[in-house]
Amino acid sequence: MKANPKHVLTGVYYIDGDVASGYGAMAAGCRFIAGYPITPSTEAFEAFCRWGPQVGAMFIQMEDELGSISAVVGAVWSGIKSMTITSGPGYSLMMETIGYGAMLETPFVLLNIQRGGPSTGVPTKTGQADMMQSRWGSHGDYELIAFAPESPQEMFDYTIRAFNLAEKYRCPVMIMSDECVGHMTEKVVIPEADKIDIEPRRFYTGPPEQYLPFKPDPDLVPKMAKAGDGFKLYITGLLHDEKGHPVSNEEYSMKYVKRLVDKIRLNKDKIIELKEENTEDADIVVVSYGISSRVAVKGVEIARQRGIKVGALRLVTVWPFPDEKIAELAKKTKAFVVPEINYGQVVFDVARCVHGQSNIVLVPHGGAGVHNPADIADAIEYAAKTDKQIEGVVEFKTRLEKLVFEGGFKLKE
Amino acid sequence: MNLITSIFNKGIETSGIERKRISIPSDIPFSPEVIEKLGVDYFHTARGRAIPFGTGLKLGNPDLRVMPVTGDLMTLGGNHFVHGVRRNMELLVICVNNFIYKKIDGKTAPSTANKFSPYSTFEEPFNFPHLGNSCGAVYTARWTALHAEELAASIAEAITKPGLAVIEIIAPGPNYYTDIDDIDENLLKFYFDNSIIKNDTNPREVGITPEDKIIVGRFTDKKRPTFIDVYNVQLGKTIGEKFTPYGVTQTEKKKSGGSDGGN
Repeated sequence: MKANPKHVLTGVYYIDGDVASGYGAMAAGCRFIAGYPITPSTEAFEAFCRWGPQVGAMFIQMEDELGSISAVVGAVWSGIKSMTITSGPGYSLMMETIGYGAMLETPFVLLNIQRGGPSTGVPTKTGQADMMQSRWGSHGDYELIAFAPESPQEMFDYTIRAFNLAEKYRCPVMIMSDECVGHMTEKVVIPEADKIDIEPRRFYTGPPEQYLPFKPDPDLVPKMAKAGDGFKLYITGLLHDEKGHPVSNEEYSMKYVKRLVDKIRLNKDKIIELKEENTEDADIVVVSYGISSRVAVKGVEIARQRGIKVGALRLVTVWPFPDEKIAELAKKTKAFVVPEINYGQVVFDVARCVHGQSNIVLVPHGGAGVHNPADIADAIEYAAKTDKQIEGVVEFKTRLEKLVFEGGFKLKE
Repeated sequence: MNLITSIFNKGIETSGIERKRISIPSDIPFSPEVIEKLGVDYFHTARGRAIPFGTGLKLGNPDLRVMPVTGDLMTLGGNHFVHGVRRNMELLVICVNNFIYKKIDGKTAPSTANKFSPYSTFEEPFNFPHLGNSCGAVYTARWTALHAEELAASIAEAITKPGLAVIEIIAPGPNYYTDIDDIDENLLKFYFDNSIIKNDTNPREVGITPEDKIIVGRFTDKKRPTFIDVYNVQLGKTIGEKFTPYGVTQTEKKKSGGSDGGN
């Protein structure tokens, strides 16, 4: 199915990542947005609210993030595509209902413009420390999909892709962007509507009395119905059978929870998107995502000038994690360098897949800023020169760390 | 089928609204049999989130009549309640008040008045009709589960109200998995002896205390533009001709009888 031309603001723009994501949501057919203002995500909400109502979409500013995400799940069950937008503390508040959405197999999109943390943290500056929260934040077992765009153009493109995958696999999809990408202003090309593919909702079309809301198709994803069509839906966050009725035995729990994780895990190859560069004969591979991959480009360039064979692997989707790809690279790679704006999150998943075959170097950052590309280059050089096998993850000491912890760093009076 | 849901059934029947158009988001688990008999769509939400979930349903498809039935209304859902009332979202909020968290060994709730709690409580309870009324609810009423006729009529009346209506039901432990016979006869008699119908009482004066009789009846019935009404007026004003009014409000529905909201 192609996008509705009414929803697509075709043209060439000079806009920031937040706004691009708002336009992407419109193009993807999002008809409802509920949010609560929070820096640095507000522009995306605003962009949607400005243009959405002109093409029949609805918005509401809720009383808090708990309400926002609950309204989004409600709106999805009324039959329309919906999303919410948040950051930091708001994202934490949404956790319970993300798990609720996963349990109900509700397709919705959540845009998280990550900021410095923890807690209120640094609202106006960047961070990448919600990555594990996006994967494990709600209680119980479930799988979802998370993207990490690196430019305003990708914010547009992957917002559409997020909606498409949400519908395809009936699960919440996270866009784990960050303040830098959200507030980065660049050229964004919005194509004609007929160039944009849209995944329609998998509505059930048979007789209502035979409908089983949680009976999966062969790809493990069930067909959906909406409120108001006479299906007498019984939808609950309790463990439920195919009819949706509560059950509480361990056999069924195993069957249902396994399907919730398997519908993503077994379809991984169709979901995962990676961008790989010069990894074939690389000694060192830089694994990065989001804004850190933009910075890493420069770091890789410097390292190459120093004569090191460096490849880059960019995680466009961070979850599900590309286990096989990393394991395959580990066989021929001396070391992995992972820059991220936190003190080690995705790097430990890299370590899990490398399984001791290569060294792993984390280039950490405490947030409220991005890496210095020279640090990434130095980390690459360090990894290239280190011949002995080091167990676990090596934390590289960056220039900023030396400055802060080894003197020389003074707060302005 | 238990007491309260049979009253819901009667209320829905009387209102004449097509059952498939009714959705019940609720943080209380109804039994599937009850929902089957009511013939509505049912969503068991996360605790306290029946009102925002209902808000999403209503805004997603304005043709639905949404009836959030809540247990954690004023605890987890307190903020959602006051804001839902303030923006006059078209919902019929049913607050089932049994004074305690019955299924969790009778922990006290923000509706607990001293006498009813097994261990007594020292906190002041909420007066729901007053709270709803003061935030701007278009309709408030309170009935006990014994006032079956009045309660059914009240539901039938409130479910068609354009705006947020609140009905508080004083119920003997809404344990939806037990049979009517399990309910303590003494408790039913207690409600019978200790309630008094006083329609149109100022909601300020209907707070429940251990000493006085429970005042039941319809307390508020007024008109206020709904969220969708004011949304359409404001956006129409600022956007102008490009704006197509969203959904179908109650008044328009009577004229046209249709909707493009969710189809």
